Amino acid sequence: MLLLALSFALYLFSLWKRPLLYAGLIFQIAYLVSRGFELGRLPLVGPHDTLVFFTASTVVFSIPFRLILKKNIRFHNTVAIGASFFTAFALTSAQHNAPLPPVLKTLWFEAHVVLAFLSYALFAIAAVLGFVYLDEKNSTVEGMQYRAILIGYCLFTLSIIFGGIWAFLAWGTYWIWTPKELWTSILWIFYSFYLHARLKQWWMGTPLAYLGIAGFAVVLFTYLGVSLLMKSSHSF
Amino acid sequence: MIVFKYVIRFFLSLNTTLWFLGFLLIMLFAGALIMPGKQAFQGLHTVPLFKWLTTQPLTLTWWLWCLIGILSVLTVNTLFCSIESILKKRKVTQWLLLISPQVIHIGFLFMLLAHLFSALGSSQRFVAAREGSVLHISEDSAMQVKGINILVSPRGYISEWEVSVEYLSNGEVFKKDTIKPNQPSIHRGLNVNVKDFRLFPKKTVLLQVSKEPGAVWALTGGILCMAGITILIILKIKKER
Repeated sequence: MLLLALSFALYLFSLWKRPLLYAGLIFQIAYLVSRGFELGRLPLVGPHDTLVFFTASTVVFSIPFRLILKKNIRFHNTVAIGASFFTAFALTSAQHNAPLPPVLKTLWFEAHVVLAFLSYALFAIAAVLGFVYLDEKNSTVEGMQYRAILIGYCLFTLSIIFGGIWAFLAWGTYWIWTPKELWTSILWIFYSFYLHARLKQWWMGTPLAYLGIAGFAVVLFTYLGVSLLMKSSHSF
Repeated sequence: MIVFKYVIRFFLSLNTTLWFLGFLLIMLFAGALIMPGKQAFQGLHTVPLFKWLTTQPLTLTWWLWCLIGILSVLTVNTLFCSIESILKKRKVTQWLLLISPQVIHIGFLFMLLAHLFSALGSSQRFVAAREGSVLHISEDSAMQVKGINILVSPRGYISEWEVSVEYLSNGEVFKKDTIKPNQPSIHRGLNVNVKDFRLFPKKTVLLQVSKEPGAVWALTGGILCMAGITILIILKIKKER
């Protein structure tokens, strides 16, 4: 937990000294690795571990965009504030230390969850880029938002496919009518809408930037809202 | 003729895609608000969707009917747009890159087809069984539970389990199988999974016997989507370089 608390502090202090964001990321990855060794599996069950994985993925994915945006303070600050917030959330969430039930010990589950959180991280970056675009109206930033969403969408689609295969093997059906599945569909359709809207000139620029930001609100509800507020087959 | 042209134009339009994706989102939002609070949706897994829909009041199911209507329009729209795109771009260079979104579209259509088949003919039932129990799973065959092995860790968690079964026809064993976590017993389109256990007073399992006619189609759609996505990402990265 000390490593995680340190990464929280470093993310926060990176608002003043930017390289500290990388130091925070190193501590967070070290924490994830130590959790993995402690549990003897990928630490991807429950809000605590998934929040840490999601935050670390978001910071990792922000690096190539930072290299292009170089001195963009707004991009850096939004990523740093977001990383601090989600790390603080992870610090206050209970750890899931129980052994995995046999049904979760499969590569399908690991691939499903890893891909889902990598896509969530890319959608988070896309939302940050949306804020940057609204500030600067720079078409390069809009193009970067599109790339983040396109790759995120592809990973999310793969996650859904792997989840369906796993559900069929584990529970005999590839689709279960629960709030999580419904919100996952909403999220997938939402970004399908974004990708199709980008083909129309009218949507280019500000409307797409807003869509990218709104999409992350749907991500947050699908990930945290459904798990915390509704009964679902998913515990995260 | 004018009507025919109008219909063709409607289904070839990207505006149709956007409007109907928007309607689809609204209906899914409505469903997300309606579904969690209503007990009736608990029974949705045990009968085919279309059968369930006809037994429930419209006040509860209107959004699902709307979803079916919207998805039907989107299916035709996707088919029209994909065919047009393939025909238009068949002679251009980087054909694979241009075709990959259409492969994803076709995968999506296969998944819709899968849901249609499942909505027409899926089923699910639960049976409690002990070692030696015989369950009739179809008119001419039965399944006998031969052994239930459950491994409990020192901390009291179930760490591993397996259920061995035999399929019988006219009293003769014609197939032996073992059900494990993520390894159901599949026989003539039926999928037998273990849903729950009880260790005391006797080892008992709750078996789930389900039929999912859309599963193969969903897998086909998934493979097509994965192929399309892989080609799209690889070629986009190459193009960027």
